[in-house]
Amino acid sequence: MILTATIVGRVVYPFFRRKSVKINTTRFGILEVEKKDIITFKDGILGFENLKRFFVVDPGDQTLILWLQSTEDKAVAFPIIEPKIFDPNYTVKLLPAELSSIALDNLHDACIYTILTIPKQVTEMSANLKAPVVINNKTKIARQIVLQDNKLEVRRLMYADLKKYIVNYSSDDSKRTRTKIEAIEIETEYSEATVTFDEPATLNTNEVEA
Amino acid sequence: MLVLTRKLGESIAIDDHIKIVVVQIKGKQVRLGIKAPKETKIHREEVYKAIQDQNTEASEADLTDIQNLTEELNK
Repeated sequence: MILTATIVGRVVYPFFRRKSVKINTTRFGILEVEKKDIITFKDGILGFENLKRFFVVDPGDQTLILWLQSTEDKAVAFPIIEPKIFDPNYTVKLLPAELSSIALDNLHDACIYTILTIPKQVTEMSANLKAPVVINNKTKIARQIVLQDNKLEVRRLMYADLKKYIVNYSSDDSKRTRTKIEAIEIETEYSEATVTFDEPATLNTNEVEA
Repeated sequence: MLVLTRKLGESIAIDDHIKIVVVQIKGKQVRLGIKAPKETKIHREEVYKAIQDQNTEASEADLTDIQNLTEELNK
């Protein structure tokens, strides 16, 4: 009934017209965010499965670190960085099912970030190369994808590499290149990988005996 | 949870394309072989735990940490 009345009376609530929303954040205060810039993580982020909507904040400082800020919990924001900055050889290899999970038809529409842990001893900062955040820029659907490559580290120390990059390129944004992203081709015939789980709880060992 | 008993060399089939074989039993350790199509992701559960812990720790960073980082980078 209310809906009918609204249409007949041509009263449109401002909410439906507004292209941007104001979002309160702990770190950055109130930010006005364009609705088209809000990114949906259907599965949330590992450990934060209840939070589905985020946006990227660029504080514009010289560290090149951006923040993935939740719209639903003002206190939750993850420092993120383009991995290419500290590791030019890093390549994200995605399976067909992963590409379709974020509706990614064209690899050029993807943006790759790694989540950073910044401890009090900042030189021990690390990046999670094992599970990058992949954002489809076109549809704004994203996912934190756990890659199969067992050589990738969850906590890759990268302070020295970041410093080297900033010293060399801090004033030149054009030097920032894209992170490599590849689609894994699955052969049509039945293929198999044999994985053995033997040693207790050692991460990042190469366990694929394909 | 479905619980099955298997002997050395025996296996479990999941769907049509996934097979888990008991390859070795040594003391408290069981070595498993997993045959699965390439698009199946197989991880030790600890990997997910490590990522969750990393995410939680990452989310606790604040702007003071970035300030410290900026100072350190400028040294």
